[in-house]
Amino acid sequence: MHSLIRPNAWVGLKLPSGSTKVMQIIPNTTISLGKYGAFPANLVLGRPYHLTFEVLDKTSEENFSRLRIVPASELHAEAIAEEDEAEGNATPATGSANDAVITATEGEEFSLVDEKGNVVARSGREVIDDSAIQTLTQDEIEELKREGNNAGKDVITKLMLSHTALDQKTTFSLAKYKLLKTKKYIRRFQVVPIDVASFAQWQLEEKDASKIMDLRAEMFGLVGCWGNVHYGGEDSIIDDPHSRTDQGEETCVPIQTDELKGRWLAVDDTCGMLVAAMAERMGVLYPKEGNEEEETTTEQTAEAKQEVKTETPTQNGTAKENGDVEMADAVPETTVPERPKTTATNKKQKVRPRGSDFAIPFSQTNTLTIIHSTSQPNLSLLNYWNFDITAPNHPPHPLLNHLLNLTWLQLLKPELDTSYSTPPPTASAEELASWKPSRRGNFHRKRRRFARTRYIVDSTRAGNFSGLVCASSMDPISILKHTLPLLSGGAPVAIYSPSIEPLAALADCFSVPRRTAWTSGNVPETVGKSLEELERWEGNEQFPLNPTLLQGVSIHTSRARRWQVLPMRTHPLMTERGGADGYVFTAWRAKPAEGRVEARGKFKKIQPSSNKKASKAEEESTPVETPAAVEEDDAATAVKRKRADTLPPLDTEGASTPENAATDDVASPTKKRKVDGEVEV
Amino acid sequence: MDGTMAPVTRSQAPKISPFLEPGKTTKVGSLAILQLSRDNLQPVYLKAPAGKHDGYAEGAVVNTRYGSFPHSTMIGVPWGSQIRASKVDTGSRGRNNKRKRDKSDDNGREASATVTEEKTEQESTPAEVNDGSTAATKKVVADVSGFIHILPPTPEVWTSSLPHRTQVVYTPDYSYVLHRIRARPGSVLIEAGAGSGSFSHASVRAVYNGYPTEGERKGKVYSFEFHEQRYHKMNKELEEHNLDSLVHLTHRDVYNGGFLIDGKSPEAEAIFLDLPAPWEALHHLSRRNPKNPQDKDWVSPLNPRKSAHICTFSPCIEQVTKTVSALRRLGWVDIDMVEIANRKYHTSRERVGLNLSMDRGVNNSARDVDEALARLTEIETRFREHAAKSKESDDEMDGDDDGLIKRHEKKEQKGGKKRGGDKKVKIDHKPASPESFETPASGMPLWMEGRLITRGEPEIKTHTSYLVFATLPREWTEEDEATAAARHPVVGEQKVIGVVDKAARKQERREQLQKATGNRKARRMERAAELAVTAEGGASGVVP
Ligand SMILES: C[S@@+](CC[C@H](N)C(=O)[O-])C[C@H]1O[C@@H](n2cnc3c(N)ncnc32)[C@H](O)[C@@H]1O
Repeated sequence: MHSLIRPNAWVGLKLPSGSTKVMQIIPNTTISLGKYGAFPANLVLGRPYHLTFEVLDKTSEENFSRLRIVPASELHAEAIAEEDEAEGNATPATGSANDAVITATEGEEFSLVDEKGNVVARSGREVIDDSAIQTLTQDEIEELKREGNNAGKDVITKLMLSHTALDQKTTFSLAKYKLLKTKKYIRRFQVVPIDVASFAQWQLEEKDASKIMDLRAEMFGLVGCWGNVHYGGEDSIIDDPHSRTDQGEETCVPIQTDELKGRWLAVDDTCGMLVAAMAERMGVLYPKEGNEEEETTTEQTAEAKQEVKTETPTQNGTAKENGDVEMADAVPETTVPERPKTTATNKKQKVRPRGSDFAIPFSQTNTLTIIHSTSQPNLSLLNYWNFDITAPNHPPHPLLNHLLNLTWLQLLKPELDTSYSTPPPTASAEELASWKPSRRGNFHRKRRRFARTRYIVDSTRAGNFSGLVCASSMDPISILKHTLPLLSGGAPVAIYSPSIEPLAALADCFSVPRRTAWTSGNVPETVGKSLEELERWEGNEQFPLNPTLLQGVSIHTSRARRWQVLPMRTHPLMTERGGADGYVFTAWRAKPAEGRVEARGKFKKIQPSSNKKASKAEEESTPVETPAAVEEDDAATAVKRKRADTLPPLDTEGASTPENAATDDVASPTKKRKVDGEVEV
Repeated sequence: MDGTMAPVTRSQAPKISPFLEPGKTTKVGSLAILQLSRDNLQPVYLKAPAGKHDGYAEGAVVNTRYGSFPHSTMIGVPWGSQIRASKVDTGSRGRNNKRKRDKSDDNGREASATVTEEKTEQESTPAEVNDGSTAATKKVVADVSGFIHILPPTPEVWTSSLPHRTQVVYTPDYSYVLHRIRARPGSVLIEAGAGSGSFSHASVRAVYNGYPTEGERKGKVYSFEFHEQRYHKMNKELEEHNLDSLVHLTHRDVYNGGFLIDGKSPEAEAIFLDLPAPWEALHHLSRRNPKNPQDKDWVSPLNPRKSAHICTFSPCIEQVTKTVSALRRLGWVDIDMVEIANRKYHTSRERVGLNLSMDRGVNNSARDVDEALARLTEIETRFREHAAKSKESDDEMDGDDDGLIKRHEKKEQKGGKKRGGDKKVKIDHKPASPESFETPASGMPLWMEGRLITRGEPEIKTHTSYLVFATLPREWTEEDEATAAARHPVVGEQKVIGVVDKAARKQERREQLQKATGNRKARRMERAAELAVTAEGGASGVVP
């Protein structure tokens, strides 16, 4: 992630209204923020992120506005003044606090604007728009003054009351107006980098939440951590086999399963948002940073531009257009396009010399493999990070060597996939030389595609992934059916869903009764099957998934509650974004032991609770007791009891439990009792 | 491939932390997390089976309420493996340590989390050392029941199994914090205080981008802790976890001592303060000496080239007020405060019905009005039959019909609870025979019966701490500005981007289309899609 704003970078411009504009900073253009002013893009290029700029008035000599960096002390002036006031005065009256506010920012102008942003009044000036004025009763004014929990309103009141012109008219309907503390204030903006956190928040709150399945910041955190997504090791690129053009698939590099490390599997129906978040955690979303100041300069100079242009004609499609900034960026004006075009931000770097047709560009480590249900994955949001998976000749990007994609067909029935199952064309060097360039190009393209598809499909099917992360609209049960066998032992699974129902249905596949029935050998279909066969369990109605393949199944959700922190006015925000809460299913891939495994617990169960509707007398007659999970033990016990009569007793100690792995921590029996008591009430 | 059974000393231990790259199988010397039950996790350092250990002929053994697990059965197996309990030969040990074992069972998680380590320390009695590799470790015999799972260490499982020395930051909080403070591969992160190391383990995973070679800047955590025992304990852990070259722990009071390492800047860009008074440490985390900005000798611990992101973690609102005030005065921007509420859900089957199998999870009352009606009707019919019969055969009856109905109903209710499986309501109550549960009347196996429901965990954490976030942009001097201005001079005629008026937008689109003609079909389609989107966005994208 760069700390200086680079040419053509996608950035967020945070405006005084609280909204953010996401746009690309194209050199030698004018950026218009509408009523917040316009300024030359070059004035923010090469400057650091997170600074707040103010658009200055044009001077008589120049035909553009310059920018001023607003120091933090000025940004916080109001709050600091209030704080000082509060400190000096234990119970400050609202009125006096306002006096302080105004004196603290003395010399500045206050403006009152209506909903459309038209200035209605300015401190120390005439009322501009009489028609906008509405009368307010004296009571309303008094109430506004009393309210005092909103700095803006306080100051508006203050402003109105102090304003002679307004005095006559009594005053305004405050709800209709917004205070902008100064005319200058209106024209402030802050530039924030487009990283996963800031972009996702914008997409969620201002753009289109459904596109990213309502993924909140909390969910990125949970999914990323529970999925254990992190940097998966130094790049390891397979040696180029240097196959000759007359050699076929037998010269493709074989998969070296032991070299495959730090690989995560993902299913992403969030247009690439999930992939971006994972790539960020793996360190493959942003280009490597060099000396930024120098890099941005060279690009800026005329020679650099020239160089780029001469390079591009050899490339085709998107990449070619991207070289031409003027043309490539003709569309994204006005608003942010849904699919921003990729632009090489790192043009200085040369495209790595291409290897032979069968060379595999992917690293064997630190990779992200996505499985998609359409023939091309939808990763359109990655364009904000200058990555376009559809571009044939992509400028350098870390995702190029670390993002692998394949379809469900390629994963499950590769023999039906044309690009996997059609052998690569071969031709002798002489033959090739006799062809037209376009035919030659086609020939190489086919061979390259074959080798890559072959590599991706075979390496994915080799399994041993370090984790699985999903944010998909597909049924998670069907996803797990085919991906569980691909996970290495102990690998985490983290599945996001905007609603809890699909995850509950998934968790139910691993319920204690299911597992108990499965491990007790009561499922005829499993009898005589090896562990490997059971790992690839096809699923049936009663057992959609092999219930022993996951451990520690949990469903959780997190919600951040935002607070306003101001002197004497600290409280949670009154409203926040609603909609989907978002839930995460987590578990670890288990490697079940061969044969029947009985669980046990060396302790006596505490008395069952009344909500279980069993009489005490009957409980006592039950010979064996189990450790209890508040929810799950009921059913588990039932199965066990049931089994106790159909199977020979296995646990001679008389202290067996059907499944200890899902039972509660029995270290706190008192706590459990309490809980049960509560249920009863 | 790595199931080497030979004893390995620490120096030979794998270089890469098992937290970062556990490998496919468990290894001697590595930390592993034993999952006893869903929320009962126990850390253990796997030891080579070199002769008797602590009185066990099988070498080191983990005892749990689910059975005994010799380390030898847990080494060289794939992570995630289900491990069967073993019949261990307690031999001489049995009596000696019985009391201790009992204690650990009773105390549950806390006790068992440390018990393995205690044993480790006891182990080196001369006799055992002399036995060395020649002493045949007793062959392990599988027990008839009991099992656990063995998991690779991750910050998540470590957080819920680590030996607590302090309050710790749990996954819902740290996952959000790390996301917000932009802790990523390559970041340098400052943390204080280290406490029990929960946050440290999560943050090192976030910033890790390889082990540093001499003089190389790599992602790293600089952690500070002024409590001496905690400092030593954590240093030991970091070493055991092969994280010592990625987490640099310093024993220091950061309020007074600040965050420099040997007088040099760690150049951090992410900061997490879990301290009682974060505002007392904040002045160190500036770009310049806050008391004297001209002070040339003052060294900032922050990366001068990057924005810094901070999070402070405080349970009380008063702490927040002070922290936020200090942040404002020190020039931090984007100050934001949130608290995280996390909830866990359990799923279960809610089984309600008169005809469901009988067991404790089932609510044997009517599932719906129809079922209630059917039952009432049946009782009524039976009563009539019974009454008619009684009238015929028994004239001694007292004729109190109401009383009879009540008596019947009482019996019914009792019977109904006891016997769900029968379609017919039986008045005579017999103890339920297990066979009747075999096939529930619903025809469904138990695990599919009833409605799938979710409900929250019985106890929820409603407050952990308040999280205050802020950003400190990098310093930007007039010289910096002059250099940037020279590199990016403002040139003449300029195209307007951003908010442009309708006419200009239309004109551009027209030009766009003209350029597009003649391009490949695919490109054309892409552009059409883009235009559609732009048009749609144009309507909504006006800056408010
Ligand atoms: C709540 S604990 C931190 C827990 C830690 N975040 C974790 O997740 O395990 C707070 C720690 O800060 C340490 N501490 C308090 N004041 C300190 C200071 N001035 N300098 C360094 N450490 C301090 C305490 O000793 C304590 O261990």
